[in-house]
Amino acid sequence: MSEIKHEVTKDPITGVETTGHVWDDTLQEFNNPLPAWWLWAFYGTIIFSIIYWIIYPSWPTGLAERGFLTGLSTIEFTSDKGEKVTTHWNTRALLAQEMQNDENELKRQKMVKEVAATPLADVVKDPTKSAFVLAYGKGIFGDYCAACHQSGGQGVIGNFPNLVDDSWLWGGDPADIETTIRKGRKGHMPAHKGTLSDEQITAAANYVLSLSGEKVDPELAAKGKEIFNTKGCSGCHTPAATGMKALGSANLTDKIWTQANVPGADSPEAKIEAVKKIIAGGIDREMPAWESRLSNDEIKVLVAYLKLLSQ
Amino acid sequence: MAHSTTAGSIEEQYNYDIVKKFAIMALFWGIAGMTAGTYIASELAWPFLNFDIAQITFGRLRPLHTSGVIFGFGGNALFATSYYIVQRTCQTRLWGTGLANFTFWGWNLAITIAGIGYLMGVTQGREYAEPEWYVDLLIAVTWVIYFLIYTMTLLKRNQPHIYVANWFFMSFILAVALLHIFNNLAVPVSFFGIKSYSLFSGAQDAMTQWWYGHNAVGFFLTAAFLGMMYYFVPKQAGRPVYSYRLSIIHFWALSFMYMWVGTHHLHWTAIPDWTSTLAATFSIMLLMPSWGGMINGIMTLSGAWDKLRSDPIMMFLITSLSFYGMSTFEGPMMSLKSVNALSHYTDWTVGHVHSGALGWVAMVTFGSLYHMMPRLWNTTIYSLKLIYVHFFLATIGILLYITALWVSGIGQGLMLRAFDEYGNLAYSFIETVVFMHGPLVARAVAGMFFVSGILVMTYNIWMTVAKRETASDVATAAAKA
Repeated sequence: MSEIKHEVTKDPITGVETTGHVWDDTLQEFNNPLPAWWLWAFYGTIIFSIIYWIIYPSWPTGLAERGFLTGLSTIEFTSDKGEKVTTHWNTRALLAQEMQNDENELKRQKMVKEVAATPLADVVKDPTKSAFVLAYGKGIFGDYCAACHQSGGQGVIGNFPNLVDDSWLWGGDPADIETTIRKGRKGHMPAHKGTLSDEQITAAANYVLSLSGEKVDPELAAKGKEIFNTKGCSGCHTPAATGMKALGSANLTDKIWTQANVPGADSPEAKIEAVKKIIAGGIDREMPAWESRLSNDEIKVLVAYLKLLSQ
Repeated sequence: MAHSTTAGSIEEQYNYDIVKKFAIMALFWGIAGMTAGTYIASELAWPFLNFDIAQITFGRLRPLHTSGVIFGFGGNALFATSYYIVQRTCQTRLWGTGLANFTFWGWNLAITIAGIGYLMGVTQGREYAEPEWYVDLLIAVTWVIYFLIYTMTLLKRNQPHIYVANWFFMSFILAVALLHIFNNLAVPVSFFGIKSYSLFSGAQDAMTQWWYGHNAVGFFLTAAFLGMMYYFVPKQAGRPVYSYRLSIIHFWALSFMYMWVGTHHLHWTAIPDWTSTLAATFSIMLLMPSWGGMINGIMTLSGAWDKLRSDPIMMFLITSLSFYGMSTFEGPMMSLKSVNALSHYTDWTVGHVHSGALGWVAMVTFGSLYHMMPRLWNTTIYSLKLIYVHFFLATIGILLYITALWVSGIGQGLMLRAFDEYGNLAYSFIETVVFMHGPLVARAVAGMFFVSGILVMTYNIWMTVAKRETASDVATAAAKA
């Protein structure tokens, strides 16, 4: 407490006077003026703000027509009725204006119109249009489809079908693909663990694997064929086991697996286990309907994109 | 300091016990909150770290991280330093010893209950105001008592003037009370139920929330820490504050301007355009008032610049002011609508917050605690060398963090607005996420640097307290002599 209190002193280093206040033995303040550059910069930001308020919508006031000062800046756009509209600067009008005038948007709209007016089979053959579809479709697919089907469209075995192998559970015609996207799909296969014994399921799995040329026990496969044809399997998968588009039932004679992870199994036993799991547990899966979330043009581009992807 | 008094009389003159408790809890929550932050940063870089456990996923751990560092680390540090500063600059003992203990238990209990709730999925879904109504009530009571203690201590001061640090703490306490109460006006679904619904809806709800959210930054993380700065910078430098006049002007300008700017968090959304304009312009006008604090802090060192080479505590304090200046420049720029269109919803915002939170808030706190904690136990720091180690770990961590998120955020922003030759958006969202992987790895590593720093600090403080000369040591030494 040796400092002299409440007496203005001069700092020996800088020569500046203090205010004369002292706290906690040593705390003092210089009486320096506001730095000039600081003060002018502060005034500068205030002037900037005032100009900003004059140009753009700013202060709310009951006296103004719309309840706030609308500012000098205006935006012109064409209304849905085709009339030229001039209004004060606002974000909705700005969006309308950009959708009508932006260079990229105009280019895109022109291409979308051309694709919409061309039959799909021709779109896929035309180099410019198919390049556009691949570019535009990549964005739609990436934002809406890739979360399940993966960004390359390769899917996930056990959950989400592969879309690039040109093998289609629900049909690969453009019309079928469009229906799938618009309405969504519900895939169902009943669980058989209640109706078939473990031996019967093993036999059926041996038969199913034999259809695509996998190495199996021939005796069990023969028993399995009997089960396949009499216990209901052939009802959906057809007696030839090639599947049925209307039901989305899989073709079991190719080497494509969407549910049983046969490609990922490293031994014949593991392959049988993988198929048994599906026969015993059944399948319940759903793809949502996109009709209400995507425009007609987007759906058309997406169908063309998928056709190009699986070629 | 305390050169003319013994340890015993200092303990009688001031309530150091409460300051010690808060300071220790600041370190505890600092480690917990920063570790949680580093973990969720790692989850973003390596998603397998979720391990499919709901309680440790990003959504649950993130509020634990933000509440842990803002209210746990920052809050406890503010209670500690404000109770210390108000006593020393008023030269009087803290009013209400029992009530001060209540603020300690109330505050830390609130954070603990809220934190456990987050892990169980209990949240109001309001950023930085996630605790449900029963925790909000506990916080409100604690805060009113804090206000009472602070005011009563100021009233019984033995000094004719109120030191500038106390103005900032008072504005912080008042503003946070206002913000906390209005943003948390909610109706519980049932008397014994934990769920509640906000009194506001739609755009008004969003604007109330961001009025709160940005002023949590303005008054909790800025004004209050400026109070901390105004005491510890001149104390550590041994020099007077640069300009009393600047401190008055920037204090009032800052307090007035901050209240307007919250809506800049909602540019380009369903709010009226005129609210966007006002938020952006007040953010611009806030730049110089913010810089006033930086100038006053850094210029206080004039006449003692050599301390930047020789004093690691001073390095912490001055570096914190540099980051404060940088992030209060970046903030107004990002609040302009055209810049915000690029930066909003990207990691640039996250990087900006951390240049303030790590660079300013945490660094000024570290410097202040290094100054204050040895004095609380009437001893000197265990190892100056370890303070240097902490300083470099923290600084490298922050620089890596900010740079990584500039790359990630600006990169993603540019990708989302890029067009291809046909006028299509060139990238899907998922492609921007793939791009961000590298920067997100760097960010997680940066977090590890920062956490290692606070661990080094905790060890240093632990050893300072454990190895100090106790009164009995002094008595033994005297007896031997």
